[in-house]
Amino acid sequence: MANTNDAGVEALRRLQQIDPPSLLAPNPSVSETARSASQYLFTTLRPFSPKSPLDELLVDGYDAEQIWHQIDLQSQPLLSTLRRRLNQFVKNPEEIAQFKVPLDVGKKLEKKKRVELEEEESDDFDEELDDDDDDFEGVEKKKAKGGSEGEDDFEEEDDEDEEGSEDEDDEEDEKEKVKGGGIEDKFLKIDELTEYLEKEEDNYEKGEERDEADEDSEEDDELEKAGEFEMDDEDDDDDDEEDEEAEDMGNVRYEDFFGGKNEKGSKRKDQLLEVSGDEDDMESTKQKRTASTYEKQREKIQSKIVLMEKANIEPKTWTMQGEVTASKRPINSAFEVDLDFEHNVRPTPVITEEVTASIEEMIQKKIVEGLFNDVQRAPKLPSKAPREVKQLDDNKSGQGLADLYEQEYVQKTDPTSAPLSFKDELKNEASTLFKKICLKLDALSHFNFAPKPVIEDMSFQTNVPALAMEEIAPVAVSDAAMLAPEEVFDGKGDVKEEAELTQAERKRRRANKKRKFKAEAVNKLEKKARLEKKADNAISCQVDG
Amino acid sequence: MNGMKCIICCTMASSSMEVDNVLSEQKVLPPKPKFEPLKPHEMPGAAVQFRKVSVPPHRYTPLKKVWMDIYTPVFEQMKIDIRMNLKGRKVELKTRHDTPDISNLQKCADFVHAFMLGFDVIDAIAILRLDELYVESFEIKDVKTLRGDHLSRAIGRLSGKGGKTKFTIENASKTRIVIADTKIHILGSFANIKIARDSLCYLIMGSPAGKVYSKLRAVTSRMAERF
Repeated sequence: MANTNDAGVEALRRLQQIDPPSLLAPNPSVSETARSASQYLFTTLRPFSPKSPLDELLVDGYDAEQIWHQIDLQSQPLLSTLRRRLNQFVKNPEEIAQFKVPLDVGKKLEKKKRVELEEEESDDFDEELDDDDDDFEGVEKKKAKGGSEGEDDFEEEDDEDEEGSEDEDDEEDEKEKVKGGGIEDKFLKIDELTEYLEKEEDNYEKGEERDEADEDSEEDDELEKAGEFEMDDEDDDDDDEEDEEAEDMGNVRYEDFFGGKNEKGSKRKDQLLEVSGDEDDMESTKQKRTASTYEKQREKIQSKIVLMEKANIEPKTWTMQGEVTASKRPINSAFEVDLDFEHNVRPTPVITEEVTASIEEMIQKKIVEGLFNDVQRAPKLPSKAPREVKQLDDNKSGQGLADLYEQEYVQKTDPTSAPLSFKDELKNEASTLFKKICLKLDALSHFNFAPKPVIEDMSFQTNVPALAMEEIAPVAVSDAAMLAPEEVFDGKGDVKEEAELTQAERKRRRANKKRKFKAEAVNKLEKKARLEKKADNAISCQVDG
Repeated sequence: MNGMKCIICCTMASSSMEVDNVLSEQKVLPPKPKFEPLKPHEMPGAAVQFRKVSVPPHRYTPLKKVWMDIYTPVFEQMKIDIRMNLKGRKVELKTRHDTPDISNLQKCADFVHAFMLGFDVIDAIAILRLDELYVESFEIKDVKTLRGDHLSRAIGRLSGKGGKTKFTIENASKTRIVIADTKIHILGSFANIKIARDSLCYLIMGSPAGKVYSKLRAVTSRMAERF
């Protein structure tokens, strides 16, 4: 061990001698030196950091980062311990004097004392929850066993902090031993309590003077007080309360508050007793230490209420105010807010490839189908009969003026005899043309669909046997006549032949005949006479004229 | 003195006559006499009446061509004697004893005059047949004073291309128009003459033919509606 110690010291010395610029370049020898030095330091400090999991610094094959982490593991709790001790010494400077100068002799004496104290401690007081003390005990025991040599070595290379921590521990033990009473424990010291109470009263009075009505300030004060208290607590707390510092709140453990699992019940009871005594001032402690669920809820609600009331009193955000012009709101604030307003115009369609493709597809389909939605003119309803517009004829009229006026006169007198107007002539022409076309078309279909035209023909039919007309060589003779009976003879009444007539009838017939003949003869004569008369007149006139 | 006496006597007589007349009126009056219209040669004044129509040189040859067409209706139907005085270049008309009406002579004279103005025989014949046909003549300068090119253009406007404007007006208004350089003659009934005259005046004053046509159309349709 001595060799290693020497080696370590040697390494440290060597490091000290190295000039800084050489450290810039990686140097294996320097690194080796540094490693051995740090290892030595680590082992030296190991007794004072009972919590560290490493017994010695592992440097072989580890890089700088890992070595540093190992050192950190050891040093962090150590540092906190030392700090606390320092603070304690700051508060109670007289304690420093109690610590002996770090001499070999003094050390030995101290050691002895420590051992005694430890023994006493274990008997009288509840052990701190702090592992440090327990470990310390162990360490101290080890030290006692180890012998003076190690101690000497220790002393030589010990930092002040180490001494300080040892001293602090001593002081602690003494303190604990001195102050007795069942009520007091790690958390609560009567002296401290009284001091604190006085301080708080002063603060409270000040707060009242300021603003009684203002809850906030009071609350703030309370909070501040609580904060202060916390701070004070940390400061005034026992050294064993290492973890109650503001900076190291994260390292708070159950054991810190409530000691070991065995001592939990008694601790609690003590605390409760104390609590019932002093409510106002212990309120904050209560909040901190054991706030009941109801209290917690209430606290939450209270904070919420505070916030809400604050919000209500303040002027509302511009979005919540009614009509807001640009001057009343911050610049460009409208961009951040999602405004909702009616758009009067349809948003312009985004022209994507799909859109154009769909349109073109539609167009093509329509072309293929021929389905153009051409606008058809709405049919104009016939309001009244279209007036016949008089056509102006710019050709020389065929008729003479006399004929023209004659026509006009005839029209006036006899409306029915309306001559064909120009339009009618055109119509006639058109109709004749159309008939010609129809004829030709019917011819194309072999007059299948046209009715046969009736041609009235005149022909003579003789009363010849029909068969004779039809055939050249008659097979049989027939007496069928071509003419029908009524065509042969059409007479009315009872026709009798000459032989059948009676005398009277014969006479009657003759008489009728004679009468007819006579009538005709008379007519003839009259006609003749008239003609002759005319002729005579004419002649006479001619002669005269 | 005598005169005065006579007057007194007359008045006295008249009064007495009046009395008598009053008395006689109570009796049956003789029937009202019917007099036939006087024949020309029965009229007081000259028995026979003449008309003379001078022939302009440019109508001489056409007259020769259509002489018979003129002669026949005048002589046959109007019963007016007609002859051509070659030396004096005049057509002479004379009533006959059997001319039914004195107006016949005037009609025949108008007919011949119309032919001399430039109208066709078939158009002029209408004067013989209808009573109320007249010939109106006016000059372009009566409507608007035009000179040189403007005048020529006005005449062109009146006739139209191939005479179609003139024919249009003739057909629409049932008249016959003769445009002889600056003189314009219109033959037709009174109302129709007015229509034709208005159209021609618009043309002289410068309206385009289309406008005149539209006016014509409106007027004639209105006229046609009436009948």
